[in-house]
Amino acid sequence: MSGKTILYVEDNEFNMKMVRQLLVRTTYRLIEATDGELGVATALKEVPDLILMDIQLPKMSGLEATRRLRADPKTAAIPIVVITSFALSGDDQKAKDAGATAYMAKPYSPRELLQTIRTLLPEQ
Amino acid sequence: MVHFLLTRSLLGSLVHWVAAIKASVHAKLLAGYFLVTLLVIGMGAMSLQTIAKMSSQSQLLDEAHERVHWSQEIQHALAMQMNFTAMALLLRSEATVENILRENNRFNNTLARLETAAQPEEVELIQRIRAAQGEALTTVADIANLIRDGKVEDAMRLQQNKQYPLYRRIEAFVTQLVERERNKMDRLRASVAAANRNTLILMAISAVTLMLVALLLGFVISWSFILPVQKAHGFLSEVAKGNFAATINVPNRDEFGALAAHMNHMGQELHRLYESQHQAAQELQRLNEQLQQASKAKSNFLANMSHELRTPMNAILGFVEMMLDEIYGDVPVHLREPLTDVQTNGKHLLRLINDVLDLSKIEAGRMELVLTEYSVQDVVEIVRTSLQSLALEKGLEFIAASEDDIPLALGDGKRITQCLMNLVGNALKFSKHGRVAVWVEQQGENLLYRVSDTGIGIPKEELENIFGEFQQVDTAITREFSGTGLGLNITKKFVEMHGGRIWVESELGKGSTFFFAIPLRMNHVEVT
Repeated sequence: MSGKTILYVEDNEFNMKMVRQLLVRTTYRLIEATDGELGVATALKEVPDLILMDIQLPKMSGLEATRRLRADPKTAAIPIVVITSFALSGDDQKAKDAGATAYMAKPYSPRELLQTIRTLLPEQ
Repeated sequence: MVHFLLTRSLLGSLVHWVAAIKASVHAKLLAGYFLVTLLVIGMGAMSLQTIAKMSSQSQLLDEAHERVHWSQEIQHALAMQMNFTAMALLLRSEATVENILRENNRFNNTLARLETAAQPEEVELIQRIRAAQGEALTTVADIANLIRDGKVEDAMRLQQNKQYPLYRRIEAFVTQLVERERNKMDRLRASVAAANRNTLILMAISAVTLMLVALLLGFVISWSFILPVQKAHGFLSEVAKGNFAATINVPNRDEFGALAAHMNHMGQELHRLYESQHQAAQELQRLNEQLQQASKAKSNFLANMSHELRTPMNAILGFVEMMLDEIYGDVPVHLREPLTDVQTNGKHLLRLINDVLDLSKIEAGRMELVLTEYSVQDVVEIVRTSLQSLALEKGLEFIAASEDDIPLALGDGKRITQCLMNLVGNALKFSKHGRVAVWVEQQGENLLYRVSDTGIGIPKEELENIFGEFQQVDTAITREFSGTGLGLNITKKFVEMHGGRIWVESELGKGSTFFFAIPLRMNHVEVT
């Protein structure tokens, strides 16, 4: 298991399962967190190569979690893709302001998500 | 000065007292004028009396003068008597005695006149004179007899020894009388002069007093009216400034008192009105806050719903796409069609969800435009690339272009893109053949977007309703062409939020042209 690590912070188990299955045929290694606080703790502990961050999470919002990770030198440089509810309502701007590298609007196409991941973090 | 008089002197309490008299302003003024008139009349009467007194005193003076004159006449008659006696002796004739008798009569008559209205001690003096005069006359008779008898020597002796000293005595008495009368006259004259001086002083004092009383009355009465007017002025100024709790307090029990009472009543009434109005305003504010909270709650609900609905949609569409992408292995041919149907309907449901949420936000007034500068050419390009494949699938000619030199626009570019996308989507949907054309041009301060198609067209009677909610021409068409029925309504609302307007020209069976015009650069003030 020498693949690059991706942390997905998401509270919906089906979306988590979907991404898990999407990455099965790739070399990426997926680690999971189900709320904002856990997401920050896991990121600081594991220091992944890329983070997928849902915007609306229990305990701590994805935007707040992104801000915290950007503030910590250990995680400040990790690319973060924020998954917003609806790109038109200004969430994209909020995500950028919080320090997101990229954002995707829900519902996203798994195909496009994989493309984004590969752009930001090439497989080997 | 007036303030000092009113607050620090007795005048103030006098003014207060006059104000508190329970009488009308008319009666108070009348009483004041009446009092002054009365004083003037009094002074006039006093002057008349003084004049009468002075004239009576001058009469007394005249009388005294006359008495002095009379006493001098007595003196003169006496001298004449002596003179005639001497003449009788000299001429040795008794004829001159007649003259002496005449002078004696004059003497006695004048003495009698002087005796009337004489003082007791004068009366005594006069009686002495009269007695001596009687004796002198007897002597004159004796002398006359002696002369007639030729005894001139004896007569001369009698005159020398008896009559002359007698006359001397009488003369002394008369001189005394004259002196007395003259003194009386002098005293009277002095007393008249003193009385006149006193009268003048008295009149001057009266005049000054009258003036002071008139001034005092004027001051007190006028200030008893001016003070309440000043207070009313102060009260009304306070009320005008919005101090409805102000009151006016005057001692007056006249028309001004009644006026002040009315003003206080008015003030209370205004205060009450103000209070109730204030309460109503507070109540309105409270309701408004409640409404705002409710609106905020609705807005939060919408934001949450948006996320909650999209999360499962994400999984549904995601899994289907992954299946069709054969992430889970080969998909049997007979399953490909139903999977594609799931995907198509999922996407349609997603569009419905998006439209309903947009519309709810607009209706709740929570939809906010994100104003940025954007390029019209970009908007047209995004729409062209997004829908080109659909046009190609349907075999339609699709042209989308804009004027070259349109400057950067200011507005919500994403929403405008959404609007154009809706219109072009409809045009492609309702056209089976022919072409769909998009053209954007600048017209002064406005941008004009035009989307024309060669589709089924819209009946005239439907043209007005076309921008309403869930308005597609009929349900059969809805089934055939799908679509949410909300696109035009949302488009109209976004255009109007930009301060623009939207309209359509159409001919049934030949096609439709949709237009919308919005300001090139939207004023920030128009954002609501």
